[in-house]
Amino acid sequence: MAIITRRSFLATTAFGATAVGLMPKALFAQEGGVVFGAVLPLTGASASIGEDQRRGVELAVEKVNAEGGVLGKPLKVIIEDSASNAQTALNAAKKLVSVDGAKVVMGEYSSGVTVPLREALAREGVVHVNCGSSSVKLRQPGGGKAFSVIGLDDLMARFTAKALREKGFAKSAVILPNNAYGESMNVEFAKAFKEAGGEVVQTLLYTEGQSSYRRELQQVARFQPDVYLYSAYGQEAAIINREAFELGQKQTPWFGIYLTMCTSDAPKETIEGQLGSEVNFIGPDSAWYQEAYTKKYGEGFRSAFNGYLYDAVAMSAAAINKANSTDPDAVLAAARSLEFDGATGPIKLDGDNERAVQEYLRATVKDGAVVPV
Amino acid sequence: MMQFLVDSLLRAGDLMLVTLGLSTVYAMVRFPNMAQTEYATIGAFVGLLLSGFGMPLWLCVVLSALVTGIVAVALHRFAFARLLRSSPVIAMIGSLAVAMIIRSAIQAVAGTRSERFKLPIDVPHQFMGAVITTTQIVVLAVTALVVVAFLLLLFRTNLGRSMRAVAAQPDLARACGISSGRVVDIIGFLGGAFAAIGGTLLAIGSQVHFNLGQDLLLPVFAAAIVGGLGSPIGAIFGVLLLALVETLVTNLNFGPLVGETFLYVPLAYGPAAGFCLLVVTLMFRPRGLFHSESKRV
Repeated sequence: MAIITRRSFLATTAFGATAVGLMPKALFAQEGGVVFGAVLPLTGASASIGEDQRRGVELAVEKVNAEGGVLGKPLKVIIEDSASNAQTALNAAKKLVSVDGAKVVMGEYSSGVTVPLREALAREGVVHVNCGSSSVKLRQPGGGKAFSVIGLDDLMARFTAKALREKGFAKSAVILPNNAYGESMNVEFAKAFKEAGGEVVQTLLYTEGQSSYRRELQQVARFQPDVYLYSAYGQEAAIINREAFELGQKQTPWFGIYLTMCTSDAPKETIEGQLGSEVNFIGPDSAWYQEAYTKKYGEGFRSAFNGYLYDAVAMSAAAINKANSTDPDAVLAAARSLEFDGATGPIKLDGDNERAVQEYLRATVKDGAVVPV
Repeated sequence: MMQFLVDSLLRAGDLMLVTLGLSTVYAMVRFPNMAQTEYATIGAFVGLLLSGFGMPLWLCVVLSALVTGIVAVALHRFAFARLLRSSPVIAMIGSLAVAMIIRSAIQAVAGTRSERFKLPIDVPHQFMGAVITTTQIVVLAVTALVVVAFLLLLFRTNLGRSMRAVAAQPDLARACGISSGRVVDIIGFLGGAFAAIGGTLLAIGSQVHFNLGQDLLLPVFAAAIVGGLGSPIGAIFGVLLLALVETLVTNLNFGPLVGETFLYVPLAYGPAAGFCLLVVTLMFRPRGLFHSESKRV
């Protein structure tokens, strides 16, 4: 019988661990493709948006591969579910980087998840692309190891404040989730609305994941606003809209920030006629994208966010091709130099690698669907 | 004022049946079953599943109560009764483990997405300045009906007398020819069924999601302990008191005290109010407001 010495045991273990660590990447290299990762909320409160984001990824992968792939090799995007939860998202990102060998990781949707995701990926030295979150906490001087294809809250807050004032609303109650997004939007909106001559009479940062927001809504109603400004994730927004309807609070106008997110899961009768602001679904020259989406999925856009995933994948592929390398610093330098013509319009990054210009829409809900006004 | 009463009643309605089941079962088995609130989740999901087959709502509630009651009895016989032979603490920890298993199983099968019963959205009624929907009125009425029926069973039937006898003096009850095993089974079944009805009604008024039971755990235990664990009457008053305190704290306008128009306690502190009530009660009545060893159940 062979005798296992301590030294041979350690050597074997170390070799085995290294081999296991390297194996997926080695396998992937043999396949000869380039892998990106996407962490999306396929379950949880934002599941409807997550599914729509997944569609954007699919469309982008088809397009990129039809045009020759990345560095001449086929592109593969591995999608992991964040379950709308920060810890699950971090585990998913770790798996995408260490097991799948992803060169770029995009995601998530909620800023409460995206902010820690971006920090974790920076520690891993992997490029992060923000494609659905807008908290100003994502902005880092110089941009770090990341970039965004969607505008942040400072831009959206100014747009929304202007839209509300032009509608004649002066006293607004604000309802937002108690996370990085809600905190950021709260500060940015209060500032922008005050500058525009309005007043926030009460702010409610609601706890995510509750089965009822009745008490919160009743407390806010006592401040008698002229308009309820709110932003909430799919299913939470559905509860808020239904309970506000049942409490008779829909006699006062409601205005949703990221209106497709607020209305994606809500019962139709509770949101009809609701006003809101939204990122633009597509750019001025992107009718081709809308056609491709409708052809593949047999329906119109489910939300405004699929195009941003499309752009995240396509712009990352373009940046790698331009850099002719998957080295993170080279990819980021290439991304900064790109004037990318995306599905959501032209994308140019500012000095912090954030999207410099973002088009927004004023929208309303008509027959249950969000339409621009 | 009327809105305050309506809100308190609605909150009490959310907690009532689950707490009543928990406290009554405790009187029999003498350990706090942490899985009791998960029976509410099971009931809500069974109800939702059945309603998906197009069954009328009342039948969904009845069948989900039946199924969950059987699950509760089976779990008691095969898991908790065995653990209880070691000690009540072991049984309690076991029930916590069972609760986590139930929650994970529901999450694996049904996902993390919350669902709704396919009911029309209610236009609210105005009633003496308060706002309430038809669904909420029906939910409150059904809850009250179940509570009254249970009290009649407990205090006006032979079965009820047997239950009270087993709870107060199990050995003496056995000596008198009462089958304590059968009584424990019936109470276990009722505990599960009440939780299922409570969970289904809660889901009808709001949403069904895998965390429904976990969200109920702390307020239900607080209410049961305030009332006196093991006392159904205590459970009823414990729930009413907790609902009143929670609603009062979040509705009181402290603005005039500091010279402002409005100043409310943030809603995140609502549950904390319930725990303050719990601590104060335990300081002065360590066994709860309605605890009485000889009259338990």
